[in-house]
Amino acid sequence: MKISAGLPTGVSAALFDSAKRRRQLEARLSALLEERGFAEVLLPILDYFEPYRPLLTGRRLEQLYRFVDRDGQLLVLRGDFTPMLARLLAPHLDELELPLRLYYRGDVVRHQPLRPGRMREYSQLGAELLGGDEAEADERMLTLFFDLLLEARGEAPVPGDGEEHALRVVLGVAGALDEALLAAAGDREASDLALRIASRDRIAARRAGLAEVVERGYPTDLSVLGGSAEAVSDLLGLRDRLAAAYRGRGIEVEVDLAEFAAAALDPRIGVGEGPRGYYDGLMFAAYAPGTALALGVGGRYDKVFRSLSGDCSAVGFSLGLDLLLELGAAETET
Amino acid sequence: MITFGLPKGRNLGPARASLGAAGLNLDGLDSSRLRQRFPNQNLLGTPVEVLLLKDWDLPLYVEHGIVDCAIVGSDVLEETQPDVFRPLQLKDGRSRLSLIAETPELPKRSGQLRAATRYPAWAARLLAERNLHVEVIHLTSSIELGPLLDLTDVAVDIVQTGTTLRTHDLHEVEVLARVAPTFVVNRASFHAHRRRLSGLLGALEETETGGD
Repeated sequence: MKISAGLPTGVSAALFDSAKRRRQLEARLSALLEERGFAEVLLPILDYFEPYRPLLTGRRLEQLYRFVDRDGQLLVLRGDFTPMLARLLAPHLDELELPLRLYYRGDVVRHQPLRPGRMREYSQLGAELLGGDEAEADERMLTLFFDLLLEARGEAPVPGDGEEHALRVVLGVAGALDEALLAAAGDREASDLALRIASRDRIAARRAGLAEVVERGYPTDLSVLGGSAEAVSDLLGLRDRLAAAYRGRGIEVEVDLAEFAAAALDPRIGVGEGPRGYYDGLMFAAYAPGTALALGVGGRYDKVFRSLSGDCSAVGFSLGLDLLLELGAAETET
Repeated sequence: MITFGLPKGRNLGPARASLGAAGLNLDGLDSSRLRQRFPNQNLLGTPVEVLLLKDWDLPLYVEHGIVDCAIVGSDVLEETQPDVFRPLQLKDGRSRLSLIAETPELPKRSGQLRAATRYPAWAARLLAERNLHVEVIHLTSSIELGPLLDLTDVAVDIVQTGTTLRTHDLHEVEVLARVAPTFVVNRASFHAHRRRLSGLLGALEETETGGD
């Protein structure tokens, strides 16, 4: 049971069964994380605004709820776990034993337009892996991401056409299309082309010689990606290993560079200010059929630590608990 | 099964014709029924369900995933800004969004101009891009009456053939944007039905000679 009357726009209270179901889901997912060696961290709901200026891109900064407290300090309500965790850990990297496996759960608030399924306060559960071999860490975290999704969905049978009802995880690499976009459209038009490809505009992609990117997710000839070709080749290998490992379990994995076309790293492509703005390597997102939003997103964000003068590889993800609860309910109903 | 949202009313014909030309067989579609099933669709390899909905409601149904894909005017998309994929614009049914006045030039006013439109957010963005700071008045129909009855100085509205403008001695001062029926897809549905939709989109792309 959810009650929203009398509350500010974009928030709701979970009562009775809703609260119980959410806590049960949290407990199941937390147990899995603990089993994999992840330790829980509890982060504050309030923080100073200033440290986030260099960490977050324009749109995400605008979404922060900020206010001046009685001491005259500019504070923010927690809008994201990952940058907060990074800024707290960065000064202490020398003292920490890496690799470090952490997880968190709790609410974040963002002042964003209300869209279907998107509130302003929502519950997240996420995990971060700091340090260690990057390729190994990426695969380990993706495996964890898959397992948490399957745990959240439960053991409900996949009805009818299995492929149609499967969960979908799409993989990409931040900045993978940058060189191709700049080569096709030049400095001035590359941003617009990136947005069009992210929107799966077939005509724009075909004119840019990137039709395969919107049709099948990546070009047959990876050399058109320039310096990103090797990273995408590695990603295809990772996809194949994950697909084999999870075959028949109701979860499909594909490489889709168009999904992350707007996550540009080249400063000449000025669209890297999306919600995933701090990722700089592997990126991934999970979808369920008939949903409005991604169930969870994640990726590599080494540059966040670099911007904090820390040298540490980092990969992580967050899952939307409210969306996962709906997923479990839908599967149970079927 | 793939669920399509198609626009009720005058936009249904062009949308249906485009899909038919691409090989999606919707023979027997009854425009008076809101929900219909078409079991045999060789092009997609899965049954199709069609929901007939109002233009302005279609983006919401797609965003929610109630329908997997739809054909919606780009004017509605620009105003409502839904988070959906937009793989293709169709040729039939194209029009333009124009700045309309009683004179061939923009009226001179010492104060702020007033504009009547059914697209308050989109019109405000387009006019601001032209350094025109205009008070936007939201009307839902007969937009041309705004300047004719002196409610506003100008109107921002869709022009297809220009007949309505000529009938009322109005002038198209400037074309602000092009408008086209647009094939849109829910994000999750795109991934779930990627292979199936790819065939339809490829066929649609071949039949539609116009680009963006």
